Amino acid sequence: MANVNKAKAASPGTAASVRRWGSYATLEKWKDFLFALPALAFLGVFLYYPLVNTIYISFTDWNMVRPDKELVGFKNYNWLFTNEDFYQSLQVTFLYTIMDVVLTLGFGLLLALLFNVSSKVYAFMRGVIFMPYYISMVIASMVFLWIYNGSYGFLNAVVGYFGIAPHDWLINPATVLPALVGVSLWKGVGFAMILFISGIRSIPVEYYEAAAIDGASRFHSFRYITLPLLSPMTLFLLITTFIASMQVFQSIHVMTNGGPLGASNAIVYWIYNMAFEQFRIGRASALIMIFFVIILVLTLLQWIVSRKKVHYEG
Amino acid sequence: MEGLNYMVEEFHKKYPHITVEPVYQGAYNDLHQKLQAAVAARDVPAVTNVEVSSLPNFADSGVFADLTPWIQRDQTNLADFSQGMLDAYSYNGKQFGFPLIVSTSVFVYNKTLLDELGVQPPQTWDEIEAFNKAVAIIENGETKRYAFSVPGWDAWYFDPWLINGGGQILTDDMSASAIETPESLRYAENFYKWISDGYMHMGYGTGASSNMRQNFLDGNIAMVQHTSAMIKTYRENASFEIGVSFVPGDVSRISNIGGAGIVMMEGAPDAEKEAAWKFIEHMTSAEHNIKWAEAVGYLPTRKSAIESEEGKQYFERWPQYEAVFAHFDDVTPRLKHIAYPEFRAHYIEVMGEMALNGQDPVPLLKEAANKINEVLKDYE
Repeated sequence: MANVNKAKAASPGTAASVRRWGSYATLEKWKDFLFALPALAFLGVFLYYPLVNTIYISFTDWNMVRPDKELVGFKNYNWLFTNEDFYQSLQVTFLYTIMDVVLTLGFGLLLALLFNVSSKVYAFMRGVIFMPYYISMVIASMVFLWIYNGSYGFLNAVVGYFGIAPHDWLINPATVLPALVGVSLWKGVGFAMILFISGIRSIPVEYYEAAAIDGASRFHSFRYITLPLLSPMTLFLLITTFIASMQVFQSIHVMTNGGPLGASNAIVYWIYNMAFEQFRIGRASALIMIFFVIILVLTLLQWIVSRKKVHYEG
Repeated sequence: MEGLNYMVEEFHKKYPHITVEPVYQGAYNDLHQKLQAAVAARDVPAVTNVEVSSLPNFADSGVFADLTPWIQRDQTNLADFSQGMLDAYSYNGKQFGFPLIVSTSVFVYNKTLLDELGVQPPQTWDEIEAFNKAVAIIENGETKRYAFSVPGWDAWYFDPWLINGGGQILTDDMSASAIETPESLRYAENFYKWISDGYMHMGYGTGASSNMRQNFLDGNIAMVQHTSAMIKTYRENASFEIGVSFVPGDVSRISNIGGAGIVMMEGAPDAEKEAAWKFIEHMTSAEHNIKWAEAVGYLPTRKSAIESEEGKQYFERWPQYEAVFAHFDDVTPRLKHIAYPEFRAHYIEVMGEMALNGQDPVPLLKEAANKINEVLKDYE
C-alpha cells in the first residue's frame, strides 16, 4: 500500500518516478493474476491437465492398471478409422441425435404454443410436463425398462388395446433407438417448452398489434414474428440439446448396454465399454479425442450457419 | 449383506487388533472400474473381490499379490478346495486368490412337469432329441412350450457346450482362435437345429434373463440353463417343484466357474497385507464355508465342509445343490487369457444373430474367428 501511495505522490517526468511506475504496474499485473489464480488452478487441475493427459494416453497402449505406458504412435487412431464398428457407432450416435434434437425442439415449440396461457390450470399443466426433467436419468431408464418390456411391459398393453401385436422394443435393432429417444424426449421436452415460452413472452406485443392491423393471419404472425424473434432461444436449445444427445450414455448403460447387436452402441457408451470392460484406455482416449473434435466442429458450424439466421432483438 | 457383516464380526472377535471396513462397490463392472482408478491413484484397498474372468488382466499387470509365500508359510491345505474353483484363481502358475462367491451354470427344471411326463433331464447330448420331443409343445409351427433354454447373452453359458462338444475357444498355445474348428462348431450346429425346430429357446438382449425366468415360472419353458446363484430365487418363486441337473455332456462334461474370488492388492503396505491374508484365510475357511454359502446363495468350496455334519444338513435343506456337488471337480475355470473379456464379444454377437434374426451361426462363427485373431495379434 505504501508503495502505491508513493507512486501516486511522485511527480511525473523524473527518473525515480518512472522506476516506481514500473513496479506499480508490475504489482497491478501480478495482482490480477493472483486474483485469477484459484480459478486457473481449478481449471488447470480438473480441465487442462486431464485434457492434455488424455491426448498423451491416446498415443499409448495403456490399460490403466499397468504402471508403464508404451507409446504406440497413431495405432489407436488407425484402429478406429479402419474399424467398421467405429462407423456404426458414429451412425448410431448421429441417428439418435437427429431424432432427439428434432423431436425435442419440435414438440417443445408445439407445447409452448399450446400452453402459453396465463391461468392457474395451464400453469399446473406446464408443471406436469416439466416434472420429468427433475427425475434422474437412471430412474427414468429403470421405469422405461419396464414400460418397454416385451412380455409384461406397459407399452405393449397400450398398443395391444389397438390390436397391435406385442413387441420387444429394446431387443429389436430397429426399435431400440426410437425407444431410447422416447425416454430422452419424455424427460427433456418440458425444459424446451419452458424456454420457448419465456422466449415467446419476451417478444413485444406491439409487433403482433401492428401485424394484426395490417391484416396478418395467426399463421403469418407466427411465421414472420414469433419464429424469427425466437431464433436466439432456438439456437441455444439446438446447441445444448445437440451436445447432450451426442453424449447419450446413462439410458444406454441402464437399458441396452449398447445392444442388441450394437444397434445402440453410441460413442460415449462405447468409450466406457472399451476403457472399463476391455481395459483399453489408450484406444478409448483416442476415441475421446476424435469425438471431442467432431462435437467442436459441428457446434462451431451450427453457430456460424445460424449467425446469419438468428435475429437478436434490440 | 447380513452374511458379510456376520463374517466380519467373527473376524473381529478372532483378531480384535485388525479392523475390517467393508465397502460396497456395486456390480462387477463398477468394482473393476473403481479398482482400475484405485491402482492408477496408488491408493488401494488391502483386499478385494474380483470377477473370475477379469483376474488374468489384473494379475498380468501386477495389481494382485501372489499368495504363494503365505500359502507356503502357513501350510494352507489347498487339497481341501474344489480343484477347478481353486485353479480359476491362479494365473501363470501363481495363486492370486481363493474362490469366495462361487457359482456355476446348471439346468433348473420344472420337476413337477417332468415327473408328470415321465422324463428325466438329459445327461448327455444324445438324450436331448428325445427329451425335446417328449417335453416341447408345438402347434401349427408355433412353440407353446419350449423343452429348454440356453442364454445367448453371456459366453459363460455356452462356452461349456463348446468345450463339451470337444471344441476349444483358443488353440492349445492360445495364439489363435479355435471356435471355427469342426469340433468347436458342433454345439452351434445343434443349437441352430433345435432353435429352428422350435424346441430350444435362446434369450438375448435387454431383460433376457428376467424374461427367461418369467417364461419358466409361467410354464412356457420346461428347463432353463442359469446360474446356480439363482436356484434360491427359482425355488422361492415357482408354484411347482424345482429340480437341478448338471449341464449335459458329450465328449466331456464340465461347467464353468462364475462369481468372484478374494484377492490381495500388491500395492498395499506390508502390515495391511498380513492382515489381508488373515482375512482371506477367515473368509475361505472350512469352518464358515457352509454358513457363508447359504447366506449369500453361492456354492461351498471346500470338501471337508461339504462332508461335515453341517454340510449334510445343508443338502437336506437344499437338495437341489446335490446335482452340482456330484460334479464338484467338473466345475472348471473359464478361459484364462487377458484378451478374453474383449474378444468374446465377437462370438456372443453370433448367438444374438441366431437368437434374434434366425441366422445360421456356422458361417458367422468363422467370420468371428477372424476378428478374434485380429484381437489376439494385438496382444502378442
